[in-house]
Amino acid sequence: MRDKHNRTGTAYALTTFTAILPGHVDEVRATIEGVPRGADSPLARLTQLHTSRLQIFDKLVYQGAPQKYDELKNAYLVFTAAFDGDVDRFLDDVATTVPEADSWWRHCVAYPGLADHGAFRRWIYHNQLDTSLFGVNSQNVSVSQVKESLAARERVVQFAIAAQGLDATSLQQRFTETFMKEKAGH
Amino acid sequence: MNTVVTEQRRTPARAAVPSAGATPVPGNRLGRLFCLTLFTPIRRQWAPVLSAALWIAKWVPFAQKHILQFNFIHFVRWTVVREMPYNGAPQVRDRLNYPYLFFESNFDGPWQHYIDAFAYVIPADIRFVWGRGIAFPGPPPAEPLKAWIAMNSMEGGSYYCAYPEASTRMVASALTVRTALDQLIADSSGMDATDFKARYERFLCDVQGHL
Repeated sequence: MRDKHNRTGTAYALTTFTAILPGHVDEVRATIEGVPRGADSPLARLTQLHTSRLQIFDKLVYQGAPQKYDELKNAYLVFTAAFDGDVDRFLDDVATTVPEADSWWRHCVAYPGLADHGAFRRWIYHNQLDTSLFGVNSQNVSVSQVKESLAARERVVQFAIAAQGLDATSLQQRFTETFMKEKAGH
Repeated sequence: MNTVVTEQRRTPARAAVPSAGATPVPGNRLGRLFCLTLFTPIRRQWAPVLSAALWIAKWVPFAQKHILQFNFIHFVRWTVVREMPYNGAPQVRDRLNYPYLFFESNFDGPWQHYIDAFAYVIPADIRFVWGRGIAFPGPPPAEPLKAWIAMNSMEGGSYYCAYPEASTRMVASALTVRTALDQLIADSSGMDATDFKARYERFLCDVQGHL
C-alpha cells in the first residue's frame, strides 16, 4: 500500500513531518543548516539516495482574506527523500550508516532513536505523508547508473580528444586499453 | 481574475519569505540543482477533486509525460495533507482550517527562469492544481505567479543531491552515451582494426550530440 502511493518505477518518494519538541526549534535549525554539503554530507553514504531536503515548517504562509490563518501549535521537521529501491532497506541504511540523523530527529516528539531499527521504521511510517503524485524524469535509473554514466560520458569525451588522428590499429589498441580491459576488470 | 500579491497578505509569515528574485539560501540549492517547496491551502471542497486528479494522473502515461515535458525537472511530488501527524504529548494536535498541498520540485534552477514556461505553456494545469487555493494569481501573466511562488516558498534547511552538477539533460545524454558505448564494446569484440575504426566513427557520429 505504501509503495502504491509513493513509488514511480524504481524511485520512492518519502515525505515525513515530525513535530519538534517545544523549545528545540533553534537547535534543530542550527543542526540541519550545519549539515555538510555535497559529497561531505552524511546522506552521501546512502548510495541509493538521489535527493533529500531537511527543513523546518514553524509557520505557514498567510494568503490573505478570505483565508482563516492556520497558526501552527508545533514546529515540524520536514524530511523528504527520493531514493531507489525498498523503503524498509532505506530506513535501515539510514539507521546504520547515518548516525548524524540522531542530531536532528532527537529533538522530535516520540523519536525512538536509531538503535532499534524496527522502532525507527515504525516512527517514520507514523509520521509519513503519502505522496499523491510523484514525477521522475529518468525513470528506473539508479543513482549508481547515473554516476557511472556521467563518468563514462566524460571518459568518452577524453578518449575522443586523445584518439584523434590515430591509425586504425593504434585506435583499437587504445580503445581496448581504455574501455574493454576496464570493463573486464569490473 | 488575476490577483497581485500585496504586502498585507504576507503579514503573518513575511519574515520567513524572501522577495522574488532574492538569492536562494543554501537550503534550496546544491550545485546546479534547486529545490522548491510550497505548502499552500486548498479550499476544502476542492481537495477531493484535486486528490482524485492527482491519483488518476499517476496511472495515465500521457499525464506523466505532460508533467515532465519541462525537461529541467528531476523529481517532483505533490501531497495533499489533511492533517499533521500526531505523536502525543508534548505535541499539541494541530487542527488545520484547510487541507494543504505540499509540493516539492527538484530542478535545474533557478526557478525564476522557468516560471514563464509554466505560466504560458501550461496555464490551465497550473490553475487546476493551485487555482482552487486562496488568492492564487492564475497565470498568465507570469509576474504575479512569480511573486506568489516567492511568497509561498518554504525556505531554509539543508539540501542534498547525489549528482548536483548534472542537469537533467546531462543525465539523459550520459545514459545514452553509456548505452551506445556498451553496444560498441560488445560489437567490437573480434573485429579487425579497420572494421573497428569504422564502427567507432559511427559511434561518435551517433553520440556526438550527447558529448
